Amino acid sequence: MKNILRWSLWLWISGVIVAALLWAPLAQGFSGLYGDAPQSSRIVFFHVPLAVASFFAFMTAAVWSILYLIKRHPKQDFHAHAAIEVGLVFCVLATVTGAVWSKVQWGKYWNWDPRQLSIAIALLFYGAYLSARGAIEDPEVRARISAAYSALGIVVAPFLFFIMPRMASFSLHPKPGGAEMDRAIGTVVVAAIAGFTALFYWMQSLRARMLALEASDLEPEDELAAP
Amino acid sequence: MLSWLAETLAVLAKEWRCELRTRYALSTVGLFALSTLFMVSLSLGPMGSSSELRPVLPVFLWVILLFAASAGLPRAFVHEEESGTADPLRLSATPSAVFCGKALYNLSLLLLLEAFITPFFIGMLALPIASPVNFAIALLAGGIGLAVGSTLIAAMVAQAQVRGPLFAVLAFPILLPLLKIVVDASLGAVLGSPVDMALALAFLYDSMVTVASLMLFPVVWNP
Repeated sequence: MKNILRWSLWLWISGVIVAALLWAPLAQGFSGLYGDAPQSSRIVFFHVPLAVASFFAFMTAAVWSILYLIKRHPKQDFHAHAAIEVGLVFCVLATVTGAVWSKVQWGKYWNWDPRQLSIAIALLFYGAYLSARGAIEDPEVRARISAAYSALGIVVAPFLFFIMPRMASFSLHPKPGGAEMDRAIGTVVVAAIAGFTALFYWMQSLRARMLALEASDLEPEDELAAP
Repeated sequence: MLSWLAETLAVLAKEWRCELRTRYALSTVGLFALSTLFMVSLSLGPMGSSSELRPVLPVFLWVILLFAASAGLPRAFVHEEESGTADPLRLSATPSAVFCGKALYNLSLLLLLEAFITPFFIGMLALPIASPVNFAIALLAGGIGLAVGSTLIAAMVAQAQVRGPLFAVLAFPILLPLLKIVVDASLGAVLGSPVDMALALAFLYDSMVTVASLMLFPVVWNP
């Protein structure tokens, strides 16, 4: 069963990549600052899903953290930690693809667009979470404090993701719910969001299992040797 | 309820009594803010009072306040852990009373700092403010958020072994949205444009962080 799921995820993502690069039409009005980069709009099929997946990562970490604060099971802490670690990778990739796209379309890598502000703070937050974990030695205290920090992050998140992007008078990004796109482009974007989100959850569950193994007294070799 | 209020006020009174014995926070935070202000004013030179630079100046005030706060406020909890007084405090007051007492102490410290540094700032940089009332409200809203957020982060940092730079690392992602909002509000107050929206958002942030801190503090504080 797990194998089937893994293979269908692989097939799905491959299909999305092929569709994004070959099948989907080019978006209107995104041919670059000097009109010399007509293919550049295809980055939308990677940039938007990565950003959405890193948003899910943020939420997932908060949910596991709050569960940990209620139930205090170490497994929940591993899941929250894994979500932040994998989410950081997605977040960095979303930032980099966004900056590259911004350079091609508007001539600057960074201009403190409200979404860029949100993602910069999200990056700082992920980093702070991981350095807090690094600074606390006792596993129980580490889990408790980092869970509380992640729960505090979710209180501030609405300001970053919803309020401030709407408040801004000017943004390069579409307003939430305000994007108009071609049907085929929309389909591929939605398919890519589904694929990348599933990829995130798969990577996150793998990483959580690794963390649980590292924390247990069992050496990985021992577990492999066991029947 | 009445005993909770008494506990809160007792924690607040204890903080101020300890502070007045050493005057550690007052002198550190005040001098830190003053020397940063001197540096800003000195390096801007005559540029500081030119009208083109006026919309940028409130940013410096908030940067000064943020860094001064991160120099002085973590002490509220770190000192308790270091001197071994945290456990008696855990026994003698409920967590929410400890949190509110410490947060009120931090808030009073920050408001004192603002009352001390803002006149210097306005005077040295010759900054005319179109709407002083809005500017004062922005300072109050920012002060509340800074104090409450810093109190919770300080309680977290006190549990860690490496404390020095950890406070700033943990506090900035949480406080940056507030900083962005109050900087917008103080810019509006300087230029005389409407700031109702930014002020409302700042108070919304303050109340959300206060409620979240009251819920999270017991798990941070009790081992």
